[in-house]
Amino acid sequence: MSAVAADLTSALPPRQTLWSKAIYKFRRDRAGLIGLGIVLLYALAAAGVWLGFWATDWADVSGPKWAPASAEYWFGTNMIGQDIFSRSLYSTRTAFEVGLVVAVLSTLIGAVFGAISGFFSGSFIDELVVWLMGVLDSIPFYLLVAAIAFSLGDNPYAMHIAMISTFWIGTSRLVRGEVIKLKEFEFVEAARSIGVGQLTIIFRHILPNTLHILLVQSTITFVAAIKSEVILSFLGIGVQDGMSWGLMISESTLEVLAGFFNNFIAASVLMFGLVMAFNMFSDALQDALDPRSTVGGDS
Amino acid sequence: MTVLSVRNLQVEFATERGRVRAVDNVSFDVSAGEILGLVGESGCGKTVTGLSILGLIPSPPGQITGGEILFGGRDLTKLSDKDYEQVRGSEISMIFQEPMTALNPVFTVGAQMTEILRLHRGLTRKQARAAAIELLSLTGIPAPEQRIDEYPHQMSGGMRQRVMIAMALSCDPKLLIADEPTTALDVTTQAQVLEQIVGLQQQFDMAVVLITHDLGVVAETCDRAIVMYCGEIVEAAPVEALFARPRHPYTAGLMRSLPRLRDEPVDRLPVIDGMVPDLLELPSGCRFAARCENAAEDCREKRPAIDGNGHAVRCFYPLSAGGAHD
Amino acid sequence: MELVQYTVRKLIAGIPLIFGVTLISFLLMVYFGPDKTYELLGKNPTPEQIEEIRAQLGYDKPVVERYFIYVKELATLDFGNSESTGEKVNDLLARTIPVSLLLVTPGFILGNLLGIAFALIAARYRGGWVDKTIMGLSAVGMSISFLIAIIAFQLLLSSNYGLGWFPVRGWSTDTPLDYLRYVTVPTLATVFVALGYNTRFYRAVIVEELTRDHVRTARAFGVPPLKLLSVHVLKNCMIPIITRIVFSIPLIVISGSLLLETYFGIPGVGKVAYDAITTGDQPVLKAVVGWTAILFVFAQLLTDILYRAADPRISLNGSSE
Repeated sequence: MSAVAADLTSALPPRQTLWSKAIYKFRRDRAGLIGLGIVLLYALAAAGVWLGFWATDWADVSGPKWAPASAEYWFGTNMIGQDIFSRSLYSTRTAFEVGLVVAVLSTLIGAVFGAISGFFSGSFIDELVVWLMGVLDSIPFYLLVAAIAFSLGDNPYAMHIAMISTFWIGTSRLVRGEVIKLKEFEFVEAARSIGVGQLTIIFRHILPNTLHILLVQSTITFVAAIKSEVILSFLGIGVQDGMSWGLMISESTLEVLAGFFNNFIAASVLMFGLVMAFNMFSDALQDALDPRSTVGGDS
Repeated sequence: MTVLSVRNLQVEFATERGRVRAVDNVSFDVSAGEILGLVGESGCGKTVTGLSILGLIPSPPGQITGGEILFGGRDLTKLSDKDYEQVRGSEISMIFQEPMTALNPVFTVGAQMTEILRLHRGLTRKQARAAAIELLSLTGIPAPEQRIDEYPHQMSGGMRQRVMIAMALSCDPKLLIADEPTTALDVTTQAQVLEQIVGLQQQFDMAVVLITHDLGVVAETCDRAIVMYCGEIVEAAPVEALFARPRHPYTAGLMRSLPRLRDEPVDRLPVIDGMVPDLLELPSGCRFAARCENAAEDCREKRPAIDGNGHAVRCFYPLSAGGAHD
Repeated sequence: MELVQYTVRKLIAGIPLIFGVTLISFLLMVYFGPDKTYELLGKNPTPEQIEEIRAQLGYDKPVVERYFIYVKELATLDFGNSESTGEKVNDLLARTIPVSLLLVTPGFILGNLLGIAFALIAARYRGGWVDKTIMGLSAVGMSISFLIAIIAFQLLLSSNYGLGWFPVRGWSTDTPLDYLRYVTVPTLATVFVALGYNTRFYRAVIVEELTRDHVRTARAFGVPPLKLLSVHVLKNCMIPIITRIVFSIPLIVISGSLLLETYFGIPGVGKVAYDAITTGDQPVLKAVVGWTAILFVFAQLLTDILYRAADPRISLNGSSE
């Protein structure tokens, strides 16, 4: 008898949730850890700028024009004598600001729309949301951003709003698909049978089960926002006040024709560093949260 | 004449919780023209054994970690990929359990069959097509000239399985491995397909390894049978002897639990108590000890080795004659 | 006949989409866009002049009426003349769209073909160093902004600081050699940036398909790995592949061309569209947006038809056989 009982308990694996497994897997993913570390470094730099610890002099026109890298100007100076290093550092703050605002808001909006349209799938509300997603998807991104930027005039957040208005769609689609599956689960039926209201069911019971999707999507959106900012700033509809890597690259397009590459290289390399690290982190996160992938294996 | 000789085969898988030995020191021979049944419940290692013969163990998690597979004068475990490709489908063929998904859905049946014929027998397109039509009619498919241009989803499960059999036989293999070929089919079709396999086996003079969990199938079609449990062979014997006088308590338990006609009604079907042990936490003694009625102290401490020739068993206290029926 | 019926049905189903796209674009660009009343007038305009200009620009009509005028223009495909240059919009588009197509098509095709090729190789050796290298390089490609790639390639290949083999800006298709000279650097930049994303996506699709039973069957019959991948597996992946390729076409043509044209000074539709926004050139905008929406609907139709060719299980009435 005891032998049978012992067999039974040994036959069941210790209880694991998606999250505990994910943390375990993530800790063993070297690329992901390195990525996270680098991102945190950048975040620290950005926080320092925001708190006023450094790079406050990014707009000072005090140095010589086009100075090469030196002890005083670590990355040299640009066409009008500004310290490239300061400007690069300041841009880190801008990057995080744009990335965080866009990622958080578009993920939120995507989650809400996706959950509602998924829960009421097939109904008019769902059709409406799906139609809206299709329509916004069909409008070429830069044209939409330009249109929004122009119609909002000089609003410094025009770019953010424009980005959010397209980036929410990806998240929304994924959430909608997941919610359609989840709402057939028994815990939803159980909640309904004890009289829990529909909105509560959606937001307190179902949506938390999509958290892993939201997390991964927000990292993807963060990266997309930073990359888009570069092109938008170049086109003149990006960051309006302050400094960003996009603006630096924009400036540098004239400089490189004259043979001065510091501005371009500094902004490009720094941006690449953050984006690459974030991508590595995002990949590791995705692998860790994927219920099918195994440790050390490849799916 | 021995066609296939498996010696001390060991297959391990890397899992999140450690290495699992799915096949532990398995040895058996298959003679020309015989149908050998490989029986056991899910997870006992029979399918893995079948897959390893053709080198189809999925390689990141799985690996053959020991033993030899002797066929045609070569050890298959040492074969290069290229050489193995030539063996597969031509000298040794395998058919699988799920006819629904085993065939490629986007190519016609004819395309899939002729590909194999041209690959292994070097036939031209026309020759291959003709040969394919003939094979289809051989396996009992009506109107093969039309069926050959159909897609798998246009056929029934039984017909798909016949197509698979036709494909498997197309290059005249010396050995056919059938992994639960009828499990996914209804009973009537099952009978037909099995009949087909046996008939074709005689016609082509092939050896067959029939992997199944269904003792009824074994009784009907096989010449000899091997019973597996937890990755090990626990009993091996000619089929009549196995069913008349099972020597291992597990085999006896399996046979007792088969529903059948009785003189008097019973309240519950006899079952074997307990559960199969977790392969990651195997007991130190006999693996069946926890569920065995006759288990003694030494059963739990030491592992029995397989013993006996014509009728081999892995047990310290094998059942004597008369242990089959209650 | 079935095909024609199907096509018509699909086109009709696309109307809400066209409606939506045109409506939203209309509201944004035309209604909230820059008010050009005062640009076209001199100093101190009189109220009558203002009214006249507004009537000319159509500002005095109510929104709904203006939208319906737009719909009519869309239906007749006649958008009038550009406000900036006075040229007929259709002529303008006829002149610039081919340029954009010639510009982005090589990069698009190459980016996808190479993406599939690398994905096949990565899947073949998955888990090994070849796979990891390809995935790593893809990650790098995904982390570089298109603009940075453009500038870098221009520097390295066209400028005096680099090789100087290609022209820095401009466009000419007078001879095939000219075309090659002007399209190479943009194409390289496009492929460089797209390759990372493409390879990853295709690899994921292929690896997913590799877990299917029929792949094991093919292996069991001795089909060699490369043939296995490129024939057996790939054909089963066609649905996601087709979807991705067809739906990225409208995006590539406008968004992709926009940056390239602006940077390299190439007279294509992307730049035209962008300029139209910044100057508030309504007719051009209406035309571009309208055409894009129609293109999307056709893209959807195209994918559905292509699905049928790729997967025999799908029938045109929408259900699987």
